[in-house]
Amino acid sequence: MHKLLLIIQREYLVRVRTKAFILTTLLMPLFIAAAFVLPTRLMLQESGTKHIVIVAADSFLANSIKTELAGSHASDDYDLPQSGRRKFHRPDFDVSVETAPTEELRQRLTTQVREGIIDGFAWIDPDAATTRKGVYYSRNASDFFEASLVSRALRMALSQHQLTEHGFTPAEAKTLLGPVHVDTVRIDKQGANKSNGIGAYLLPYILLIAIYVTVLVYGIYVMRSVIEEKSSRIVEVLLGSVTPMQLMSGKIIGVGAVGLTQIGIWTVAGSLLGTCSYAFLHQLIGDSMKDARIAPIAVVLFPVFFLLGYATYACLYAAIGAMCNTDEEAQQFQFPITLPLVLCMVCSMAIIRDPNTPFAFWLSIFPLTSPIIMFVRVTVSMPPTWQIALSIAISLASLVGLVWLTARIYRVGILMYGKRPTLPEILKWIRYA
Amino acid sequence: MAFTLELADVTKSYDEFVAVDHLSFNIPEGEIFGLLGPNGAGKTSSIRMMIGITVPDSGAVRIFGQPLTRKLLDRVGYLPEERGLYKKMKIMENLVFLARLKGIGAPEATRRANQWLERLDLGRWAGSRVEELSKGMQQKVQFIAAVIHEPGFMILDEPFSGLDPASSLVLKDALLDLKKQGKTILFSTHRMDTVERLCDSICLINQGRSVLLGVLRDIKAGYGHSSVQLQYEGELPLLADPTLVASSNDFGNYVELRLASGADPQRLLALAMRTARIRKFEIVEPSLEEIFIDTVESTKAVAHA
Repeated sequence: MHKLLLIIQREYLVRVRTKAFILTTLLMPLFIAAAFVLPTRLMLQESGTKHIVIVAADSFLANSIKTELAGSHASDDYDLPQSGRRKFHRPDFDVSVETAPTEELRQRLTTQVREGIIDGFAWIDPDAATTRKGVYYSRNASDFFEASLVSRALRMALSQHQLTEHGFTPAEAKTLLGPVHVDTVRIDKQGANKSNGIGAYLLPYILLIAIYVTVLVYGIYVMRSVIEEKSSRIVEVLLGSVTPMQLMSGKIIGVGAVGLTQIGIWTVAGSLLGTCSYAFLHQLIGDSMKDARIAPIAVVLFPVFFLLGYATYACLYAAIGAMCNTDEEAQQFQFPITLPLVLCMVCSMAIIRDPNTPFAFWLSIFPLTSPIIMFVRVTVSMPPTWQIALSIAISLASLVGLVWLTARIYRVGILMYGKRPTLPEILKWIRYA
Repeated sequence: MAFTLELADVTKSYDEFVAVDHLSFNIPEGEIFGLLGPNGAGKTSSIRMMIGITVPDSGAVRIFGQPLTRKLLDRVGYLPEERGLYKKMKIMENLVFLARLKGIGAPEATRRANQWLERLDLGRWAGSRVEELSKGMQQKVQFIAAVIHEPGFMILDEPFSGLDPASSLVLKDALLDLKKQGKTILFSTHRMDTVERLCDSICLINQGRSVLLGVLRDIKAGYGHSSVQLQYEGELPLLADPTLVASSNDFGNYVELRLASGADPQRLLALAMRTARIRKFEIVEPSLEEIFIDTVESTKAVAHA
């Protein structure tokens, strides 16, 4: 026991003192903060005034489009939940109208766009009332947002036009074409909470990235540590003092403790930052995170699922480390083991959107994906308690088997130098007494 | 007589390959014992069984008169052939960590590490990382790691490799000191000159088997005064005469040879004088190197027959 503690202690201290640990501990929260503050900031930015020209033979239609583009404001246009609205700032339009669509005009406007005198022009089909067609020319074809605004304006103008022709007053037409309001309300055990899509989506995603990164990074630390001891031949000295099992478990526990320390620092720093600078955050990203709160149970379960996921992958990585002689060699082996983790990331979007599908259920039960996927489900909507318990139980059971298997590969592998073992050889190691 | 290490009929195979084949020898307490053998003879495999890294397929390993247990290993020190230290950790941290694993308290470990570092001229490096040190200096640190817990039995695999003559001398003195304190030392090496000067007994193994075992003095005496060292100028065709010369190691103007059984050294000298100018002629005990090459060659011949 005393020796196990020494191994844990060394593994812990050596890692916590490295610059890499200090840097990632400091930079990771900044990185995550930047990852969702920056895009929001960018979207909130005013994009300036756009000079565009509407070309349509029908001057009434052209002017309607102009009114649509210039007059109305974004917040009235979109059928978005209340709080999401501030995210989209449309540019202001400075619109001029041409009612003589000649080829010569098209040439001239094209030149003007090219030279940057205007930002773009919309060429409305003469029979737009029936064909409902137009072309938007701009320097930047990828600016679909601008193009979609123009196309929206055309649609609105046409609809309004036709509604008036069918006998509606302009006011009636405006009401008919106006946006509707649908707010989202999340119902959980505490009752109904008004929530908003963006925040409820972002937060689980941030937590998902946090658990994914920590499981992966600390798993790989274990592998590196095994390879380091093997290639420096210090295992031979150590095994004269401790058993392979003590060495392996000491390493896994020690590195895991480093991971917990880091997560602990992040949690404390995160909640401090969240409380102290709420106003600041609010100013930065608006209301979108207003209702995004981590359920207390998720805070408790984060270390639990981190430990389960970490221990599972640490065993696998330790086995790989024992089979290889160099980091480069290990990289090839590493890939198949990293796959389930990548799968978690790939599926996470769908699972955050819809956390209770059978697919999500099975992924949250399968030991290689369960710690991450079950945790994601917990953050989105609380799954039934029995499912959480089942997920943890299966994870623990498979961990017992995995530790046994890894220990057998490890204890032979760390003393084998030179050639990388083949699969039959590894199976033979497992069978050794 | 008390034995520090007893190997009784120890066998270890890896799959088809028999690394150690019914090996038996005992090391009396307080002796310096040489475990010799060509590359791949099974030295490292044998050592691994002595420090509990692997378990013999059959046979028994006893240390300090008891069957090998992990508890007893705290009284064994091991210096592996290749350096086994944490490269990124400081010298002092390495030494204290390894000593604590052997059950020494941290303050005591620090005190002893400082003492040893001073003695081996490494005092000012205590705070440096292992990777900053030269190979020879790392070897000295490794040696300290093997002896810092004052083990009764030390297993040293090529302890002199990479050391300059001055460091070798310091290390040799340290070893002799340890011997005076009654410690038992097992040497594993190819360097016959060191073995010849330091070891009391040897075991020469080849292909996992013991081919020569005993007190060094007796072994040499057993080979008799049948060796001749000759310094000459000219030609020595008589070296090819099997009735006179059993084997020879010719350096061009110096030759070590073993007489064929029954051959008369005087006749050899007379014949040699006919074809060459003799500057020195001496009848000596065979060198260990000669015995080593001879024994290994003859066991190879047996194995191939």
